[in-house]
Amino acid sequence: MKKAIFILLLVITTGILFAQKKTTTSAIIAFDATTSIDALPKAENKTAIAAIDTKTGSVAFEATVKNFTFANPTMQRHFNGENWLNSDAHPSFNFKGNIVDPSSVDFAKDGLYKTNVEGTLTVKGKEQKVTVPATIEVKGTNLSASANFSIVLADFGITGTPIDGGKVAKAPKITVSADFK
Amino acid sequence: MATQKRPWLKKMLISVLALAIIAAGIYWYVATDKFSDTGDMEASFTVNAIEFIREFEKDEPGANRKYKDKIITVNGRVSEIEAADTTMNIKMIDTTTNSFIIFAFQEQHLSEPKTVKVGDNVSIKGSFSAGIFSEIMEVVKIDFKRSALNK
Repeated sequence: MKKAIFILLLVITTGILFAQKKTTTSAIIAFDATTSIDALPKAENKTAIAAIDTKTGSVAFEATVKNFTFANPTMQRHFNGENWLNSDAHPSFNFKGNIVDPSSVDFAKDGLYKTNVEGTLTVKGKEQKVTVPATIEVKGTNLSASANFSIVLADFGITGTPIDGGKVAKAPKITVSADFK
Repeated sequence: MATQKRPWLKKMLISVLALAIIAAGIYWYVATDKFSDTGDMEASFTVNAIEFIREFEKDEPGANRKYKDKIITVNGRVSEIEAADTTMNIKMIDTTTNSFIIFAFQEQHLSEPKTVKVGDNVSIKGSFSAGIFSEIMEVVKIDFKRSALNK
């Protein structure tokens, strides 16, 4: 009986110490579609979920579209509206992918690693393959990641007069940052 | 005089100028509009955190329709305080399913999560965003933005 308890405790402890999937529910995703004639279309979501598997190199994030916060109420209403993100029908952005070269990051050694992540980004129900440069920082047991990239709105079926008229950028900048635990 | 010969020109110029001033006024109003302070707003619903989570677990589309774009006061126990860069989010978790509510705070209320600790019973008012099933966490996650701690 004692042996069984000891083995059970050992399995649980090992699982906790060497957990491979790290997550956060407070990742930040910023969206910047500002142009020289309009500084309003930019927003931030501070409650995105992100996950990284240090063994397989898989990476994922998801963000609730309606939790992107704009400074301007009209801009936020347009962003969620049927002609734009249609967030009632498509309530989240999702990304699922992998580190292109898993050997480019040593999760057991402190350091700042530049790498690439490729996968599928789903916006407004439309999937697109993307490859984005990412930075991963390992510091003791802490792990953080960030990525900066652009998406072409037309690739996700998002078009309209404000884009054609230069009030909203055709390829907004996206910034993702996450501190995993 | 040219203007005497064409009085319609003067009227047209005045009309164009008036329209331009009105359009600039509307643009200025829309561009400088801000969200009200959530702390000063009246909540449409006051709910218990665990019961609220279970409402979404039972009928996610129905609950999303019911609370769409509403200001809601949520009473519950602080399960986690999670850093989001330099700011903090508060989470209330249903420990039986691990489904949770997460509150991001409004700019003028960003310091308030620092005044509470895990285990405290609090009342938070926020703008309901949505409740969705997270494929990553495999639980229901309910988002609030522009939140404020009720004092």
